[in-house]
Amino acid sequence: MMWAFLGSDVMFFGVFIATYLVYRGKSLVGPYPSEILDIPITSVSTFVLLMSSLAMVLGLHYVKEGQKNKATLWILVVVVLGAVFMGFQFYEFRTFAHEGLTPRTNIFGTTFFILTGIHGAHVTIGVIWMAFMAYSSHFGQLRQDNALDLEIAGLYWHFVDIVWIVIFTVIYLISASDGPPAGVGPTMIHG
Amino acid sequence: MANLWQKLTQHDGNGWWNLPHGPSNELNPPYEGPIGGAWLGNLWRTITHGNVSHAGVGFYWLVGFVLAVITLVEVWLFTVETLGGWFIPILLFLSIGKFVGVVAYFMHLRFDHPMFTYIFTASMIGGILIFSILLVLSENAGTPVLF
Repeated sequence: MMWAFLGSDVMFFGVFIATYLVYRGKSLVGPYPSEILDIPITSVSTFVLLMSSLAMVLGLHYVKEGQKNKATLWILVVVVLGAVFMGFQFYEFRTFAHEGLTPRTNIFGTTFFILTGIHGAHVTIGVIWMAFMAYSSHFGQLRQDNALDLEIAGLYWHFVDIVWIVIFTVIYLISASDGPPAGVGPTMIHG
Repeated sequence: MANLWQKLTQHDGNGWWNLPHGPSNELNPPYEGPIGGAWLGNLWRTITHGNVSHAGVGFYWLVGFVLAVITLVEVWLFTVETLGGWFIPILLFLSIGKFVGVVAYFMHLRFDHPMFTYIFTASMIGGILIFSILLVLSENAGTPVLF
C-alpha cells in the first residue's frame, strides 16, 4: 500500500515540478532566483536530509537485529535531522519574505513556495511519524517481529528525501542563475 | 539481446546484478552484492557486509558517504563556470545517481519483491509523462506571463 501511495505522490510532485519549470524565467518582477537563492545554505540542508536517510536505514537495521537502544538512538537522529531541515526551510522562507519574495510577489514565488512548502509539509508529517516510532522503540513496542511498521515509515521518509534530491537539482542548482527576462531590469532587494 | 535484457531487468536473471532468487522476506538472501560476478560479489560482500550476505551497517555507511560526495560534487560544479551546456546534463546525471542510490539501497527496492519495483517504476513513468506533456504544451502555448 505504501508503494502505491508513493507512486501517486511521484505524480503529485511531478506536476508541481513541471509547473515550476513551465513558468521558469517568466516572472516580470523580482526578486529573481539569481538574486535570492542561497546555494551554500541549501546544500547544507540537503546534506542533513541525506544523512537522515542514512540514520533511518541504520535505525531499521538495529530494530531488525533487536538492539533496542541503538534503534531508538538512530530513529531519534532521524527526528533531529528532520527538525533541523525544517529549521533551515523556515529560515529560508523567513529570509525570502524579508527580502520581498512571497507567494504573491511573482510567478517564481508562487511556484517556489507551493513546491517547497508541500515538500516541507511532507517532512513535518515524517518527523511526527518518526517521533512516534522513537517513542514506540524506547518503550519496547517496536520490536523485531513488527519491524515492518518502521520499514513502511522509512519508505515514506526516503521518498521525501528523493523528492528533495530532484527539487535541489531543478530549483536550486539549475535555476540559481536565472535572472529577469530580456528587457526587464534587476530588482532592488530590500534590507 | 533477450538474454541481456533478462540479465539487466529480471529478478531471477542471476546475471550482472545477481538479484536474490528467494522470497523477499527470506533472511540473508544470497547474491545481494550490488556488483555482479562471483569473485567480485564475494569481495564486495566481504568488504561491506563483514562476509554476511545481507546488507550491513558498513554498507549503509558506504552508500551514505557516496551520496554525500555526489552532493559535494554537485555544489562544486555549481561554482565551475566553464561547463557551458554540459552543466545541466551533468547535474541531472548526478541527481539520478543519488535518486537510484536511495531508492535501490536505502528503500531496499533492489532487494524487495518485484511487484513493488513494477508499481514504483510505472508511477515514475507516469510522472515523467505528465512532466513532459506539461513542458511540451507550455512550449507550444507561447509565453503566458501572469505577473
